[in-house]
Amino acid sequence: MAFVEQLIANLLYGAILGAVYGLATMGLSLIFGVLRIVNVGHGAFIMIGAFTAYWMFTLYGISPVLSLPLAMAAGMIIGVAVYLVVVKRLVDAPELATLLAMFAIGIFIEEAAKQIWGANYVGYSWEIGSISLPFTEIPYTKLVAFISSILIAAAVYVWFRKTKLGKAVRAVVEDREGALTCGIDVNKIYALSFSLGIGLTVLSGVLVTLFTPVGINAYMGGEYTLKAFVIAVLGGLASPWGAFYAGFIFGLIENGSYTLLGLIPGVEPFGLTRFVSFVVLMLVLLLKPTGLLGGE
Amino acid sequence: MKSYSPLITLLLAYLIMIAIGQSIPGMWQPVMLVIFYIAIGQALNVFLGMTGYVNFGYVALLGVGAYGMGVALGYYNELGLIPTLILGFILAAILALLVSAIVGGIALRLRGAYFAIATIGVNEGIKYLIMGAKIWGGSEGIVLSGILRKSFGAETMRFLSTTFADAGVIVVAIATGVVTAYILNSRLGYALIALREDEEAAKVMGINVTKYKQIAFMISCVLAGLIGATAWTLKLTYVFPQDVFAINYTVEAIVIVMLGGAGTLLGPLVGGLIYALLKYYLAIAFPGLQLLILAPLLIVVILLFPEGVVGYIAKKARGTRLENFVR
Amino acid sequence: MLLKLEGVTKRFGGLVAVNSVDLEVEEGEKLGVVGPNGSGKTTLYNLISGVYMPDEGRIFFEGKEITNLPPYDRTKLGIARTFQIPRPFGSATVRENVAIGAMFGMANAGVDEALEMADDMLKLVGIYDLKDKEAKLLTPLEKKLMELARALAMKPKLLLLDELLAGMNPANINEILELLDRVKKEENIAVIAMVEHLMHAITKFAERVVVMHQGMKLIEGPTMEVLNDPKVIEVYLGEKLNVG
Ligand SMILES: Nc1ncnc2c1ncn2[C@@H]1O[C@H](COP(=O)(O)OP(=O)(O)O)[C@@H](O)[C@H]1O
Ligand SMILES: [Mg+2]
Repeated sequence: MAFVEQLIANLLYGAILGAVYGLATMGLSLIFGVLRIVNVGHGAFIMIGAFTAYWMFTLYGISPVLSLPLAMAAGMIIGVAVYLVVVKRLVDAPELATLLAMFAIGIFIEEAAKQIWGANYVGYSWEIGSISLPFTEIPYTKLVAFISSILIAAAVYVWFRKTKLGKAVRAVVEDREGALTCGIDVNKIYALSFSLGIGLTVLSGVLVTLFTPVGINAYMGGEYTLKAFVIAVLGGLASPWGAFYAGFIFGLIENGSYTLLGLIPGVEPFGLTRFVSFVVLMLVLLLKPTGLLGGE
Repeated sequence: MKSYSPLITLLLAYLIMIAIGQSIPGMWQPVMLVIFYIAIGQALNVFLGMTGYVNFGYVALLGVGAYGMGVALGYYNELGLIPTLILGFILAAILALLVSAIVGGIALRLRGAYFAIATIGVNEGIKYLIMGAKIWGGSEGIVLSGILRKSFGAETMRFLSTTFADAGVIVVAIATGVVTAYILNSRLGYALIALREDEEAAKVMGINVTKYKQIAFMISCVLAGLIGATAWTLKLTYVFPQDVFAINYTVEAIVIVMLGGAGTLLGPLVGGLIYALLKYYLAIAFPGLQLLILAPLLIVVILLFPEGVVGYIAKKARGTRLENFVR
Repeated sequence: MLLKLEGVTKRFGGLVAVNSVDLEVEEGEKLGVVGPNGSGKTTLYNLISGVYMPDEGRIFFEGKEITNLPPYDRTKLGIARTFQIPRPFGSATVRENVAIGAMFGMANAGVDEALEMADDMLKLVGIYDLKDKEAKLLTPLEKKLMELARALAMKPKLLLLDELLAGMNPANINEILELLDRVKKEENIAVIAMVEHLMHAITKFAERVVVMHQGMKLIEGPTMEVLNDPKVIEVYLGEKLNVG
């Protein structure tokens, strides 16, 4: 039963990757939930995180785990800058304007990255051994990514529930008008949420590198933009928690379908999984655009 | 008071460009480049400009149009030259129609943000379907030069990829302008203006917004498909998935529409002219940096000139005699 | 019977905005619906015009059930409305705004015809001079008049006016009331006007009045009788009712 073993191994791998996918989508959902802005340049921020991990490791030998806070901080600073320069002026603009602006920001970041870091694919390998399971072997790096994702998501959850600022952000997500009348400074919440959303996204880029040993490149984000949208819509678009759970579902779908597509002769299963992402997106939009997990 | 006078301005501009290209040596290539960019701006404008909805997967429609023509020429050329070409145009239109019917049918019922998200996946989705499932040559694409030479002779092939392809692009470009003018003067155009401004109020004023968005989307996509069929497949005599699904064409078309003025007839003409010339000189001055320069340009236009050049002039011209010729 | 509501209910979360309302409107009738702020009048309009679908109950127009009909199909049957907070198509001109009403309402006019009708309607409500102005540049009062013209251009059988008169001075109000009277007689339109406070105007306008209170129909009947009813006075919390 080699096929079943392989399927189980791939699903396990999908669940591990799914945690990272979920984390990588929380920022997108947070920004949409609070500002009603769809960050169509999402993938570019993941790419920044990936390069952060790459340079920290190759230049200074800093392990990706230690790069996480650095990436978060860098992302938050970039987030505040983007908010102040562009997004702030577009909060009440027509949807068309914000969508195009976020799109342009993403392209700008990618092109700048290409100029600075070159167009080639790069990578690094962080060897810390692996754990043997009956069917498969899982590198510790992936377990580190899995556990970090869950811990970070949990930390964000606690921040939302327990801190005053977190509660204020949640209040804005749930009832913007109401929050305004309660004296919450909505502008400040917007800036904070945007910066936090970008911070989380850049941070997740660090963990992404643990799954793509030689996949770091200025344009690597496009793939994650599409995946993040599928996941965000699965999770209800406006809910960071929905997004986190939906990440697992997506990881399972992706890796499960990869295994199944491999059975079809004459196709290239890896490319086709991206088509599957698109089909899943369309199906969710068709059947339950508010998300499978409750959502709005 | 229907007004087709701005169309005179547009047709005149095409005439002048063609005259310049034909009479001044070395100008034909740049003129065709400009006309191509005006055309992709015009086709996108029919949807993005008039509805305010973004189609991030725009280039995919040019791509499937290119494949439609490529499949006809590559796989059905034994039909004879003219039937094959007709089949190519029909396939290009049908593939574009099919994609737009499915994507629009699912996502245009939803709010604008959802539609934009759906379209982000279209380009990648179709590209990887073709490459992953090895359809129509998969990653290798369809290379036509050899096939065309064998089936129709070298002379015909050269004619197809030069004179015929250019004439095709020009006809499609002009047709796209005429369609835009027609829409602006029709009930469809008024419905689109209304829903762009306030979808809910438009519904209460009797407008079936989903239907009209879908019509505009499908028209825009079919026109894009025909541009792909002529400007790419016929002209270049090959179809490579990496080329025909390259996202930079989506960005370029959006920049052209916004720069010229979304929802105006002459916007894509002005935007396309400015953009193509800019690109031409930027490529010389800063090779490889076009997108790096374009992206901030788009942001600046959105922030400072959301109406675009033509939108601005049309507003200033309101009430003057110029009004009839600018829209 | 032009319009009939049977036990129509609409909830927003726990709040019952419209609670089991029955209502009947005859062809060509002038009905006033009054009630304090938040009593459910606008929601009632949203249910009749199809912005919301009711949670319970049924709605009939000319005997045909329209409970779940989308709004754009209802206009074709002859329903038109204005919005309490005007919703012009901002970047279109005033004339185009009104023409859109003529094109997609019951009038179902072609473009040329609709633009002509728009001119007529703008003359009728007295803002023809503003026809080439962008609608978003109008004053609030002008926007209301434009909305009235747009609704009239749809050639409806039932015209729903939501706080149309609020914010107008008495001279304007009289003009509009006369206009409505004229149009109603010429075209046999049933008009329902909703107001919060302009009782004086309602007494001049309506033959019959319905009073809404907390989502429910409190009382209905001939105008003067109803407005002098102690229950109604109580609803307005002793506010002086300017019944005149
Ligand atoms: N879209 C909505 N969502 C939630 N509550 C609403 C909505 N529309 C109206 N309401 C509530 O329903 C009640 C009735 O409102 P409305 O119909 O506007 O009253 P009126 O027009 O009589 O002032 C109010 O309490 C209002 O807050
Ligand atoms: Mg009201």
